[in-house]
Amino acid sequence: MDEDILTTLKILIIGESGVGKSSLLLRFTEDNFDPEQTLTIGVDFKTKKLNIDGNTVKLAIWDTAGQERFRTLTPSYYRDAQGAILVFDVSSYATFSKLSTWLNELETYSTKSNIVKMIVGNKIDVDNREVSREEAMKFARRYQTLYIEASAKTRDGVQTAFEELVHKIIQTPGLWESYASDNIHIGDREHLPRSSCASYCGLV
Amino acid sequence: MADVLTEIVQPDDLKKFEKIYHEQLYKNDVTPKAQFEYAWCLVRSKYPTDIQKGIILLEELYKTHEEGQRDYLYFLAIGNARLKQYTKALNYVRSFLVIEPGNQQVITLQQTIKKRMEKEGLVGMAMAGGVVLAVGAIVGVGMAIASKVKS
Repeated sequence: MDEDILTTLKILIIGESGVGKSSLLLRFTEDNFDPEQTLTIGVDFKTKKLNIDGNTVKLAIWDTAGQERFRTLTPSYYRDAQGAILVFDVSSYATFSKLSTWLNELETYSTKSNIVKMIVGNKIDVDNREVSREEAMKFARRYQTLYIEASAKTRDGVQTAFEELVHKIIQTPGLWESYASDNIHIGDREHLPRSSCASYCGLV
Repeated sequence: MADVLTEIVQPDDLKKFEKIYHEQLYKNDVTPKAQFEYAWCLVRSKYPTDIQKGIILLEELYKTHEEGQRDYLYFLAIGNARLKQYTKALNYVRSFLVIEPGNQQVITLQQTIKKRMEKEGLVGMAMAGGVVLAVGAIVGVGMAIASKVKS
């Protein structure tokens, strides 16, 4: 379809190895799940159009490898990103504990100070949960990030996660530029409905 | 918009990892990690000579460091595609897929490379088409003259 694209947004996905970053992306972009998802090499890249409040935005999503041996170079992909999804596995407390390290890394390497951050607790379909929803939400509140629980396997929360993130980016003045800057003034976004969700929000 | 075949390494990163590599080279003790990180930067350079250098380093790693072979194959495909050596790039992709047939990342890369080839192939065909049109026009004029002469 030939639709007007409001803007292109750069989104990052980061977090420990094996938490399901690529699986979340595959579910979001292709509505697919691979139980034998292989380890990402360096960084992977996918695009997807998303309709938010009647506007079409194009997402350029950089999915980084979680493995240690790629760590020295992945931060160079943080440049100019408007949104970051920090993923952990709710059945692995260790991956949750590492979130503060990932937040620090974002702080250090992202070039946009008002980058929108979202924590995603993935794999809520599994039985042996180690991180409670309350604890994760408390953490997200403390670091002023959005929080959503999801399962790439069952598709729970995946679409919502990306939509909430993009919604928040669009609401953040100065974080993005419209292609149609000839007739729309940047910062003048009264026509966009305000979200009821502020700095953090939980899923139903 | 930049993708895996067009995004460019930050010059600072390239310099940083070049320095580490050369320091180790000077001591005659290059680790696979330093060589790989430098090569990863090189194949993302905007200069073909850098990419070529990166490819050489990756080929060497591929032969000597078994542990990271899948990574080296992937970046060899990226480097060659960036140099428009598509056949070679696709050969690396194919070797990779023999080992991991379901790898989404590499399948996507294969599609990206093929799309590029198609796009560049079409440009060539469009030019050829233009020549055909021009020749057709000349023939057409010639025939018009001929028919005029006849009448």
